[in-house]
Amino acid sequence: MLLNAVIIILREVLEAALIISVFLALSQLLNRNLWWMLVALVLGFGGAYVYAVNLGQVSMMAGGTGQEIVNACLHSLIFLCLLLFMISVPHQQHVSWRLLNLVTIILAVITAIVREGSEIILYINGFIGIPDLLSPVLMGGAVGAGIGLSVGVFFYYLLVNMRRSHGIWLGYLILLLIGGSMVAQAVEFMIQADYISATTPIWDSSHWISERSAVGQLLYALVGYEATPAPQQAAAYFISIGVLIAAAVISYTIRGRTP
Amino acid sequence: MKSIRLFLLLSLLATITLVNFVALLHGYQSSMQKAQSLFDSRLESTARLIASANSEQAERQSIAQQQTPYSYFQIWDSGGKQLLTRSQNAPEAVTGELAEGFHEVNHASYRWRNYVYRDQHLNRWIVVAERIDIRYSLAEEVVLESLLPIVLAIPMAALIIWLAVGVGLKPLRQFADQVRHKRADDLSPIELDRVPAELTAVVGNTNALLGRLDEAFHREQRFASDAAHELRTPISVLKVHLHNLRQRLGNEDEDIALLRAGIERMGHLIEQILALYRTSPDQAAVKFEKVDMLKLAQSLIASEFVQFEQKQQQIELSGDNVEIEGNRFALETLLHNLLSNAHKYTPAGGQIHIRVRPLSGKVALTVEDSGPGIPEAQYERVFERFYRLQGDQHASGELGCGLGLTIVKHIADLHHATIKLGPSSMGQGLSVTVLFPQGEQS
Amino acid sequence: MKVILVCFGLILSYLPVAHAGPPVIEIEIRDHLFYPDTVPIPADTKVKLLVKNLDPTAEEFESYELNREKVIAGNSEAIIFIGPLPAGEYPFFGEFFPKTAQGKVVVE
Repeated sequence: MLLNAVIIILREVLEAALIISVFLALSQLLNRNLWWMLVALVLGFGGAYVYAVNLGQVSMMAGGTGQEIVNACLHSLIFLCLLLFMISVPHQQHVSWRLLNLVTIILAVITAIVREGSEIILYINGFIGIPDLLSPVLMGGAVGAGIGLSVGVFFYYLLVNMRRSHGIWLGYLILLLIGGSMVAQAVEFMIQADYISATTPIWDSSHWISERSAVGQLLYALVGYEATPAPQQAAAYFISIGVLIAAAVISYTIRGRTP
Repeated sequence: MKSIRLFLLLSLLATITLVNFVALLHGYQSSMQKAQSLFDSRLESTARLIASANSEQAERQSIAQQQTPYSYFQIWDSGGKQLLTRSQNAPEAVTGELAEGFHEVNHASYRWRNYVYRDQHLNRWIVVAERIDIRYSLAEEVVLESLLPIVLAIPMAALIIWLAVGVGLKPLRQFADQVRHKRADDLSPIELDRVPAELTAVVGNTNALLGRLDEAFHREQRFASDAAHELRTPISVLKVHLHNLRQRLGNEDEDIALLRAGIERMGHLIEQILALYRTSPDQAAVKFEKVDMLKLAQSLIASEFVQFEQKQQQIELSGDNVEIEGNRFALETLLHNLLSNAHKYTPAGGQIHIRVRPLSGKVALTVEDSGPGIPEAQYERVFERFYRLQGDQHASGELGCGLGLTIVKHIADLHHATIKLGPSSMGQGLSVTVLFPQGEQS
Repeated sequence: MKVILVCFGLILSYLPVAHAGPPVIEIEIRDHLFYPDTVPIPADTKVKLLVKNLDPTAEEFESYELNREKVIAGNSEAIIFIGPLPAGEYPFFGEFFPKTAQGKVVVE
């Protein structure tokens, strides 16, 4: 039970911690204050609780595929936030762009916490009635959360203590990977709900790096690794990264032209 | 980076957590594996044991109360068609498949791990099964005991790191505090209880810098006041000779008038420089006494009334008798400089108002004139040494050396007073307010 | 929030859902076990799994091999489409109780 709890909590915490730490670091590198973090955390956990409580109802919607649709929407929303974030960063001197930038950060963090937090709440909730299992689950949860938060702390300080320009670029790179993985997961949910027809996997790398292994789990959290992705998933992954890069480059170019 | 202390706390804690927990998980996994293979081999030997202890081939009743509810066994004939015997809690059907090895099956609301053993001698199958949750919880209980202290130790480590880092950073904090609270004129060296190796260079260099600054400061002061003092005598001699020259040549010579004006100006400059250094706030130990500002202003105006009259300027003094702690000579100089500025820059027939009044626990001295005033952008600069509005080409054509307001500022600083410039209430002109602290109504 | 979710769901439920076709296979979750724990399905065919969770606690149907992941709340059911798949064994498990909730899809 314990190892399982570690893995579940770690996976969810790691994904959320990664997004949060990168945004925190970028906020600091872009000279913003950090009060928004508190707002986002509170709203995120509130939203996660509401989603967890209503999950049964949500699942039953849309012919039993409500959950996939909501999850796909949440992942797409995070991608959209990242996109708008990338676009708005070069225009920080305008108040309205600055506001948009802040809103995208807050919204992305809230959405990430809603998505990952609701699973944690459902999971822990299931063991409240089973005292024998509750203590190993809580212990495992503590270990998993500890590892996930520690990685987040390291990422944050790594980005903040790097040379400023390097930190911003690495932060961007991580956001690109997160964006790609968000869209790929959204596509996976649409396949699962049969809104997109599944085809045979484009590759099978489960012999090299199994998704079950620790490395596979870590890669999944960092770059959205899949051992057997559908072609649509892989395409969505790379196209969305391309879109993010293009948006950021265009936005920078426009700022360069209009002083 | 916001705070070194927070950085050290979080990064150290993250390191401890990560290293400990990953090591812990590794240990957990390998001990679980060990336990599982131990359980598996026990299951295997149980199957052989049952095979050797039970050689009857006919079908029998199930054996009751022989097994714990956590495990069961079945014995099947070679074809798997007939159940020869079983423990009471065992299923009556084949669960999973009859192939030698380990399998996992569902039975009676639990997941079981069974071992299927092919008894070659009697040509039959023996199935022994154990509940999986029991196997795991047995193994886990052992590991959990060792895990709890490590998890609980993390908050403790956090507290200890926080305190230790705080102690470690104490010299740095002390250093920062001393630098922050240093008065502008305090150039004494910074002293720490103990100087750690990392701060030695910083403290040493800072103190050396402060020392050099202090020395340079004193040298400048000494030089200027010595020079001014030494210049007094030749000027007095010059004045005597000028007087003699005038006696001989008569009063009407234009060159002599110009010469006289030049000498007057030089004498004024030297007096001002001397006043500047006598009143500068870095000058140690100036004698303070209770001074009634209104009375002081009265006597000063009386002694200088003639010059105001010459220019037909109306001078007006109003206010209350309020006392402040101050140096009489310095306050006199301050008032004199303000009045002479007002006199110089206010055109003939203009007005000058002086007011002394208590203002919310402080004493406000205000001098207003109806002169040209000072543009707001220049308010800061006029206090600089030798700064004159529009350089030496001031429209008033008045003599001045640009030290008057600097001296006023020095004296105000000496008394911890603040100066505020503003437009005069007389429509045009300048209003100077000096706000002295701790005024007392007398 | 709840109202928003419900509204959202109502809109979704009117969307045309174009999967009446595939055969339905029922799987039950009882006492954190899958019944049946072996699910045979035909090769190269899309199949609709109807997973009924009869436990009061939530469970997450998860399979790395099938690329599926779905949380099923306590006392509710969920639909998961799988396939078309080539022949082989595809293990799945309940992520919240993985020691007991285990099963596999056998494509033949």
